Amino acid sequence: MNCIITIELGTNAVRVFAFDLQGEVIGFQKGSYPTFHEQPDHSEQDPEQMFITMLYVLKKLLNDVVYPKRLEVSCICFSSSMHSLLTVDEDGIPLGNAITWADNRGKKEAMSLKGTALGDAIYRATGTPIHPMSPLVKIAWLRNNDPDRFKLTHKFLSIKSYIIQQLTGSCIIDHSIASATGLMNIHEVKWEPSALEFAGITADKLPQLVPVSYSAMHLKREYQNSLRLSSSVRILIGSSDGCLATLGAGVWDQGRATITIEDSGAFRVIGKEVINDPGQQLFNYRLTNDLIVSGGPTNNGGVIFEWFANQFGEHGTGYDIEQTFTSLIREAAAVPAGADGLLFLPYLLGERAPIWNANARGCYFGLHIRHERKHLIRATIEGILFEMFSIGKTMEAYRKIDSLSINGSFASIPFCTQMIADMFNRPVNTLSHGDSIGVGAFLLSATDLGIYSDLEQASKQVKMHQTFTPNPKAHEIYKQYFKVFENLTQKLSEDFEALAALPVS
Amino acid sequence: MAAFPHILELSLVKNNTIQLNSFEKESMENICLFFIIEGKFDWFIDGKAHTVYPGDLAVLLPGQCIAGENDILNIGSFYMVKIAVQANSKAVLGKWSLLSAKEKISINHILSHNRHNPVVKLKEAQLLFQTLVTELKNEEVGAHTMVNYMLDQLLINTCRQLIRQSNARRDFPQKFLSLEQILRKDLSHQWTVEEMAVLTGMGTTTFTEKVRSFSGFSPLNYLINIRISEAIKMLKRKEASLTDIAYATGFYSSQHFSTTFKKLTGYTPSDFRKNHQTEQKPKL
Repeated sequence: MNCIITIELGTNAVRVFAFDLQGEVIGFQKGSYPTFHEQPDHSEQDPEQMFITMLYVLKKLLNDVVYPKRLEVSCICFSSSMHSLLTVDEDGIPLGNAITWADNRGKKEAMSLKGTALGDAIYRATGTPIHPMSPLVKIAWLRNNDPDRFKLTHKFLSIKSYIIQQLTGSCIIDHSIASATGLMNIHEVKWEPSALEFAGITADKLPQLVPVSYSAMHLKREYQNSLRLSSSVRILIGSSDGCLATLGAGVWDQGRATITIEDSGAFRVIGKEVINDPGQQLFNYRLTNDLIVSGGPTNNGGVIFEWFANQFGEHGTGYDIEQTFTSLIREAAAVPAGADGLLFLPYLLGERAPIWNANARGCYFGLHIRHERKHLIRATIEGILFEMFSIGKTMEAYRKIDSLSINGSFASIPFCTQMIADMFNRPVNTLSHGDSIGVGAFLLSATDLGIYSDLEQASKQVKMHQTFTPNPKAHEIYKQYFKVFENLTQKLSEDFEALAALPVS
Repeated sequence: MAAFPHILELSLVKNNTIQLNSFEKESMENICLFFIIEGKFDWFIDGKAHTVYPGDLAVLLPGQCIAGENDILNIGSFYMVKIAVQANSKAVLGKWSLLSAKEKISINHILSHNRHNPVVKLKEAQLLFQTLVTELKNEEVGAHTMVNYMLDQLLINTCRQLIRQSNARRDFPQKFLSLEQILRKDLSHQWTVEEMAVLTGMGTTTFTEKVRSFSGFSPLNYLINIRISEAIKMLKRKEASLTDIAYATGFYSSQHFSTTFKKLTGYTPSDFRKNHQTEQKPKL
């Protein structure tokens, strides 16, 4: 029997799945790696540690599951998080760590470009909002702040390009990851000259652009031997986590969208057209020649609730975050929708969509002497989800949305899923498979192997688990509270700037 | 004190008046513990302001400095002990200490990792200091052992409290990241699971379970991944010899390094290096 392996190079860990050709999971392994914050605004990962962890986990899955079951590997497909940047010298040796999507060091460079005619033109051409996350801005930062490293850099890679180069020798980047660099023209699917000029580089400093179905490469002989894989195993470059999570959530038909909330979150749709949003609030990433994933990302997902749990949750010495979560949510459930007049703006990490303001900050509003801890808990969860609703509203200006599917550990907490249904007043489906990115990579591989005629047919295989139907009464309440939430966010924008200008230790 | 060459100074300081330049900046060459009995002191430790109250213990390591705010010593009283450190050794505590070699290294890891948080609440230290002073003064039978035992206990309790304080509001991922940073700082050390568990303030069994479910690896396999990642960097840089790389990244021998490396990557270290060798081009 044959199997398909998917390798997901995520933000915190690498996850490797083995699927049978019908899409059932045969085996799973994960291995985590850390993110280092050596300075404020810096967020880095060790590329060799990611490589070794990936290799170790892959090997373990093959030896523990695939070979004992006498399965033959047909295809290995990669996905990774977006916006990473790794500089390598002319020998291909990394100059420093990989800079992740969460790195904010390019704030100044982003600010100087955003809102200018050039910035607008780059957004229209690339589909990537101007923001420190974007490799376009990171490269500009390096040029201005680390000229030695900039000069020594032979290639500016994504972490996925680096890992694939280690394994196969090919220096390539897929269209999905490339369209999240802020450097690729999403319409013409080639490097965008105006963006390259702003970054201060030429196209030969970047890997070669290839479609997500590219597979003209082989594992190096040493890895074939150590992994016991033959040279005929198809190595598929694959796509980004965001694009594959959308595909893997079965979001295909008109009117469907998916909400992902882990630490951070995103609201996404798939379509044939690039959304040109004059407010530049939405991103567009290319999945295939005729498919675009559009949406908006938020910084403030489950990580904010985790912050709350750390500060105000009850925990003994054997501190277990999941237990703390469960008991907090039980308390929150005892408070009605709207938290008896308490609102929370969740911008503890600044915000991307829809306000794109790195200086935005969190705020509880409407505190009354009668409010108890449970009200703060509920308001915190509502605030995080109001923000997702706010991105959804922005999207509704371009796409009709009739139903939602959700994934990610925070959004899948039943209490949160119901709240999403109530806020959007739309039915919300959970998925039967916990990892939509892995499923998306499987669907891409299976389509490539000819099991499905195209991705549309493939996406129909995604099974929904449970449907949450909206409660109209709760929806009416949320609708009114959301108005205040939206107003507050707008009104505070000047004060966010004023606060950011004040000294802190 | 002649029998205790490692105790450089032990004093009970009582200050009743405020005088100019009574507490000017002092750089430590040894370990120094301050325990506050009475009053409230405004101190700068490594340039950072700390207000210490009765029951607080401040620990300073060689290279750190302390001064009173405006160079003034506030009114109050405190104990102070200076303990000599072993030069050029991983174990700061000398032969006098009753701790095992492994324990001494753990104490060192904990103290140096927490050097930016030098103040702990440690009420029980008062009794230890009192006993220490009495034992030194009375020189009764067994005094030698008692004194060293009190010093050990002071350091053990300080370290335990440092770990408790730094872990109190931390969930496992944060503890684990902080552990990884300690491991990377001293990768050549032959870490044991027990030592790693101690640094997170957990028992060995719980620690191993938590690491497994969080990272997907056993603690030792996780450590091997870090060792190999660092080795890869050094192999690519082509500066150090294979033997040096093996020791620097914590392998017992170059043989052990070679086997482990090949098992994981399929390359021997030297093949890996050759494979990533390209012609040296002249740098412009």
